[in-house]
Amino acid sequence: MMYRVRHETVYTYEDAVSVSHHLLRLTPRELKGQHCRESRILIQPVIAVTTTTHKDYFGNTVTSFTLPESHSRLSVDAISVLEVKTVEPPDFAASPAWEEVRDSVQSDHSLEGLDAYQFVFDSSRIVGSAALGEYALESFTRTRPLLDAVFDLTRRIHRDFRFDAKATEVTTPVETFFEKRRGVCQDFSHLQIACMRSLGLPARYVSGYLRTLPPPGRPRLVGADASHAWCAAWCPGSGWVDFDPTNNCIPSDGHITLAWGRDYSDVSPIQGVLLGGAKHTLEVRVDVLPLS
Amino acid sequence: MSGPETLDSPLLTAEYRQAPGAYDEMCSPAGVLRPHWERYIASLSNLGGEELAHRWETARQRIRENGVSYNVYGDPLGMDRPWSLDAIPLLIPAEEWRRIEGGLIQRARLLNLILADLYGPQKLLRDGHIPPALVFANPAFWRACHGIKVPRDTYLHLLAVDLARSTDGQWWVLSDRTQAPSGAGYALENRIVLAETFPDLFRESQVLRLASFFRAFRETLLHLSPSRRENPRVVLLTPGPLNETYFEHSYLSRYLGFTLVQGSDLTVRDSRVFLKSLEGLKPVDVILRRMDDSYCDPLELRSDSYLGVAGLVEAVRAGNVAVANALGSGLSETSAFMPFLPGLSRRLLGEELALRSVATWWCGQPKALTYVRDNLNFLVIKPAFPSKGMEPVFGGQLPADQRDRLLAKMSAHPEDFAGQELLNISTAPVWAEDGLTPRHVVLRVYLAAAGDSWMVMPGGLARVSPTRDTPVVSMQRGGGSKDTWVLSSDPVDNFTLRPPTDHRVELNRGLTSDLPSRAAEHLFWLGRYVERSEHLSRVLRCILMRMTGEAPSPSQTSIPTATSPGWDSLMKLHEALDSPHSRMEKDDPQGHLDEVRDLEEEILSLIFEEGRGDSLNANLNRAARATAQVRDRLSSDLLRVASQFGSAARAQDSLAWGYVAPGDALAVLNRCILMLASLRGIEIGNITRGPGWHFLSIGRRIERSMRLVELFRAIIVPLNPDHWQELEMLLEVADSSITYRSRYFTALQAAPVLDLIMNDDSNPRSLAFQVNSLIGHCAGLSKMPSGTGWPAAQQRQLEGAAARLFGADVQALCDVGPGAPRLELDRLLADLETALPALSEAISNTYFSHAVMERVMERPMEGAP
Repeated sequence: MMYRVRHETVYTYEDAVSVSHHLLRLTPRELKGQHCRESRILIQPVIAVTTTTHKDYFGNTVTSFTLPESHSRLSVDAISVLEVKTVEPPDFAASPAWEEVRDSVQSDHSLEGLDAYQFVFDSSRIVGSAALGEYALESFTRTRPLLDAVFDLTRRIHRDFRFDAKATEVTTPVETFFEKRRGVCQDFSHLQIACMRSLGLPARYVSGYLRTLPPPGRPRLVGADASHAWCAAWCPGSGWVDFDPTNNCIPSDGHITLAWGRDYSDVSPIQGVLLGGAKHTLEVRVDVLPLS
Repeated sequence: MSGPETLDSPLLTAEYRQAPGAYDEMCSPAGVLRPHWERYIASLSNLGGEELAHRWETARQRIRENGVSYNVYGDPLGMDRPWSLDAIPLLIPAEEWRRIEGGLIQRARLLNLILADLYGPQKLLRDGHIPPALVFANPAFWRACHGIKVPRDTYLHLLAVDLARSTDGQWWVLSDRTQAPSGAGYALENRIVLAETFPDLFRESQVLRLASFFRAFRETLLHLSPSRRENPRVVLLTPGPLNETYFEHSYLSRYLGFTLVQGSDLTVRDSRVFLKSLEGLKPVDVILRRMDDSYCDPLELRSDSYLGVAGLVEAVRAGNVAVANALGSGLSETSAFMPFLPGLSRRLLGEELALRSVATWWCGQPKALTYVRDNLNFLVIKPAFPSKGMEPVFGGQLPADQRDRLLAKMSAHPEDFAGQELLNISTAPVWAEDGLTPRHVVLRVYLAAAGDSWMVMPGGLARVSPTRDTPVVSMQRGGGSKDTWVLSSDPVDNFTLRPPTDHRVELNRGLTSDLPSRAAEHLFWLGRYVERSEHLSRVLRCILMRMTGEAPSPSQTSIPTATSPGWDSLMKLHEALDSPHSRMEKDDPQGHLDEVRDLEEEILSLIFEEGRGDSLNANLNRAARATAQVRDRLSSDLLRVASQFGSAARAQDSLAWGYVAPGDALAVLNRCILMLASLRGIEIGNITRGPGWHFLSIGRRIERSMRLVELFRAIIVPLNPDHWQELEMLLEVADSSITYRSRYFTALQAAPVLDLIMNDDSNPRSLAFQVNSLIGHCAGLSKMPSGTGWPAAQQRQLEGAAARLFGADVQALCDVGPGAPRLELDRLLADLETALPALSEAISNTYFSHAVMERVMERPMEGAP
């Protein structure tokens, strides 16, 4: 599939902001099944902005910039054209027993193994707990193949929790979502990751976009999409395998990957520190347009 | 006295009871002096206990005056708690020191290599020399700092190591302080106090000097500069006056000659760091930071930090600024690294670890976890990751329920814990009233990067336990400190921190001074608060003297009562203060009120009451806080006077201020007036006439002008000719009585009084003098390089009002006929009273960075279904 993705974020400040500093993670990653043909970011106001980019610890592209003069509106418009192919997921039933993965990842000092192992530990937004481990254990029965168990957990979370755009905020902790059972994709993903980490399994957070299909017979609405999040489990031999608990599916060519990290705070598409600007409103418009 | 000293020395007859089992630094177990203490104890005995006690009292006075303090969070008396220093140094012979030194330098090399690997290729994780969990689970491993190239691969520019000696005489490392170690400045201040108090002892002992260490450290920081500029700009970044070691930050910044800044004084533009100075943005090359990694940048590190500089990590990444110690270096502070250091030393240096750490078990390893659980009673349990906030606990002292909870936590997250052997640490003598007595001692030593290696400070900050039987040594928990003398066998050179003679510094006499606008603001308010305090002191003294019958002029013969002719004048003068918090009774329909007692209480309240915003006490406290913010810019003499601000107008029992005898209150006011006068004297004599001086003086002149105008409007405008007492008091408040008498020899009249204290610009107390001087300072400021924004309109408004007032005929303004108010005078004064705050506010808007908080922007939620 070819896509043109437009991700527009607009902050409107009640009082002027005199100086602001920002980080963006809005450049899609290069992957086996994903190639980015074109990616650009437009920033307004255009006041003496020089952007710099670097790769963060997880390999995501970070764009940083400073707005050195007074402004009362910031718009960041990221446009990417990319090609996404279906990558056949591995045979879940043939994956190693989950206990084996839990034990081997601790002593796997290969580059890949070390990279996976760091996703076993608590991070700033995801703290494991006995209760979460217990919830997960229903799926992780003795010697069950890892990916089978993870997919079952994905299915259960989808079944037990309700999507509700109004129930949570960007900072809602996992426990609150676990109690209230309502939230958005960020909460679904944080929960599944927390469950897996509570069992000692590596799991990471993936941020990106989802192709949405209009209801039958209706035209596609431009800008009605949203940024999306899901999670990935690490399986020796197969590498990282994506799971989408919000939609109970295995991501394929309908999921576009922007960035990954330990949790949302490692990958938020836009962040900043402002001098001034007491109150602000935030608008996000995402448009995922299939080109082929 | 000469020859080997025994415990028969008069100083030591008071029993020197050694702690059971502990090594004593001064005496062998048999109670015989160790050889390196002999000469010192002999000199001390020569001095005698009485002389020692006498000199030490002077030294403690000096510490208080110098404002040496250590703030303790959460302690009501804790802010600016005076620094506790012992008169007896810890002595270490040169030979033993050389061994320690070698071990320390090896340790610095090792820790630095570990950091360079973990923030770079991470080979140590792949080859299994460091368990990966120790890094990945540690919040102090800042992924944002990974891959940043630091100059010369040096992470640790200043490193502190805590050492303690065990029963067998062996030194052990208790902890490493690798991100922003504190205490080097206190060590230096301790040394200066001891060397000055006991110059004889110090000379005879041949003590190695500290100055060359600080010089090396200074050179190292200057060489870090990524720019090729002649005079790189180095700043010392402090969290601010509330930090426990703020005294040290200001002290070191002055000693090393670096500008002291807070996070809000710096800003990042285009990946470069700038100082927000009065003259605009000035590039910063090197930051010596005294805050932990997490606080340094709210954008890329801890986002709830308001102390740091947004964008700093990016500026470091771009190579435009150097930070010492390198960002991320807090990672190696974990005690859980200790068990792996011997292996790492062999792997990275090919050497055996010379200075061993106290035995430590990291519970992330199954065998170590078992050992720690089985031996909990004999271990200190520490957080493996100190930034997670857990306090160390003694396993043996835990009640059963807490012990169970700890064990449960350890099973759930073993990697979060480490167990450490409890050392029976050595004791050293401290001076108590009745002689020497032993206390446990921990020695913090310092290393500075120098070239490709490290240099050890020959000495250090020794800290002692509060009692012989408390094994814990902590400044936060009330222990004291000691100087540490490394004794040379050869005479030592006298070296101080002087620039080398071959170094030519560019001559600079311009107005530039790197004054951060925040500092300018505090200087301005310091000027206003001290002036307000002085005015208040004089007015209150004037009233109180008359109430106690001690008026300085023969015109008053008895203590006034509410019916005597002078009474109304006293009330009038009090009303002129226009206090919004006045305690005076407004209504007294029954006539029951004791008016004299009522006024007296009001005066005492105006002096002492802490919670009353306009009291002398409150104003002096504000002045003290403003001083704290600009300590690094004031001379030590000035600071010595300012150190009295906080206590000058404090009643002994702060709640019972109403019971202070009027005579005592008068004495307090007299002392305050003297204190403020000496402050002014030092200011005039010592402060360079740069922008800082202008701001301080403008603050003073605006405040005093406003107070004078207020007095004139309240007293002279409605004055009746028979109320000459008010004129007398006015002259007294304006400190112009003598001049008046020498000029006029006559009864007091409004016009000549007004001429003297309003119009006569040769009188330094007159309003005209204040306004002229204010205009002069404005001219000085507006010439400064960034003077483009100078509020010229407000200055013209002031000049216009002043010209009209001073140009008018005083006699005509005053002679308005009996009983009528002087309306024309009032109108002219009112104009000036409007112009003064307008100018003050305009200056503030032009120059001062207002307390606009940086905030973290809300992030968008990922919301697709």
